[in-house]
Amino acid sequence: MSISGNIIQTENLDLWYDDKQALFNVNLKIRPNMVTALIGPSGCGKSTLIRCFNRMNDVINGCKITGRVLYNGKDMYGEKVDPVEIRKSIGMVFQKPNPFPKSIFENIAYGPRVQGINNKKKLDKIVERSLRDAALWDEVKDRLNDSAMGLSGGQQQRLCIARSLAIEPEIILMDEPCSALDPIATAKIEDLIGKLKKDYTVIIVTHNMQQAARVSDFTAYMYLGKMIEFGETTQIFESPREELTEKYITGRFG
Amino acid sequence: MVEKFHEELEVVRKKVIKMGHLSKEMLEKSVKALKDIDLELAKEVEKKKVRLADMDNEIEAETLRIITLYQPMAKDMREIACILKLITYLTRIGRYGKDIAKIVPEFEKRGHVKKLVSIPYMSDLVCGMLDDALDVFEKGDLTKFNDFVDREDNVDELRYGIYRECLTYMMEDPKVIKRCTQYIIIARYLERCADHTCKMAEKIIYKISGDRVEIDCREKTSKSCFTGAPEE
Repeated sequence: MSISGNIIQTENLDLWYDDKQALFNVNLKIRPNMVTALIGPSGCGKSTLIRCFNRMNDVINGCKITGRVLYNGKDMYGEKVDPVEIRKSIGMVFQKPNPFPKSIFENIAYGPRVQGINNKKKLDKIVERSLRDAALWDEVKDRLNDSAMGLSGGQQQRLCIARSLAIEPEIILMDEPCSALDPIATAKIEDLIGKLKKDYTVIIVTHNMQQAARVSDFTAYMYLGKMIEFGETTQIFESPREELTEKYITGRFG
Repeated sequence: MVEKFHEELEVVRKKVIKMGHLSKEMLEKSVKALKDIDLELAKEVEKKKVRLADMDNEIEAETLRIITLYQPMAKDMREIACILKLITYLTRIGRYGKDIAKIVPEFEKRGHVKKLVSIPYMSDLVCGMLDDALDVFEKGDLTKFNDFVDREDNVDELRYGIYRECLTYMMEDPKVIKRCTQYIIIARYLERCADHTCKMAEKIIYKISGDRVEIDCREKTSKSCFTGAPEE
């Protein structure tokens, strides 16, 4: 953990896609073992911001960043930093479940294998622990060798979470993890997020305000690439300080 | 959907104000009925309790429906929370009016012990506070609460004055004991009503500013003290 007590911290972060600026002077502190939600209308920069946290923007042509993103106190965009190393400790789950067209077991074992773990017993352990942590074990333990594509959407999404847990990350980024799921699967993922924060730090982008209010400890409201308000979730949803936040969460615009 | 939500909230808001006027009317008329020993007016007040209870139920059901349908946030949520509390206080106030009205027939035979001055005055003070609370609920001018502690204090003092006064009458003449006891009870009811309007004010402050405050700081609860809203 960093000295400042923040696992991730952005300092005057600006981001451009070619000459279009997408983030403006974002200063945000993410606490460890907490769930932080990023909310805001479409195009406000919340997905762009969350992608900064594991250098996913590196692969986009024309994307330029100024300012700093500190991960455990160290600049994530420093010269000697290997983005692949970063992504080992910062996992990501996307809007649509995207399992590999392999068996359930191989989906989870893929990451550890790439890291050089080939011992079957070790892999068995990792797969079981990851699936248990992702609250999927009981549903799939008897068919680990079946194709992951045969799982339901909600199960696939939990599989993707399990896959990200297999490499024991510190942080899990979730970019609208429930928007393609039905309410029951959504509720399961939400319960899961609450359990995950015991061992991990979770940052979640969501369009569902009630979901942000339910699952997160801190909420950041973004608008047009700017961080408008950041605070404890209860405060943001009960009495926001900024008029823009108030208008957005009460549905008066956005 | 947002527009529909605000329309529905506006309908409920208007109903709350209507209910507030009903509560006030019950209290005001009950004291007038008492002062004039007007049995007919007292009966009329008593009958209003049904309408009062109906409004309480209707508003509660409508706010709960709004919560389930729209899951309001921030100031909308605070308004809903405020409304749910207000209707309880308004019910209590209206029912104190009904309780006072029920006492009126006791004075039919013997009339009042003396000319009734303090009790109608107390009622005026309470009704004034209630009017202001409803006005702030509607229009949002929090400065109207700045003197609420003082006004509530005055009501308290009047209640104590009535109690002392009645004690002396009762010591002088046992025949007035029954009636004087009623005066003491009525003064107590009115004091409770003033207290309820203060609690209403606290919820209205919460609705408007998001602050959870205590109007009467002698209570020493964990909430912070309402130090008054800045004048324009």
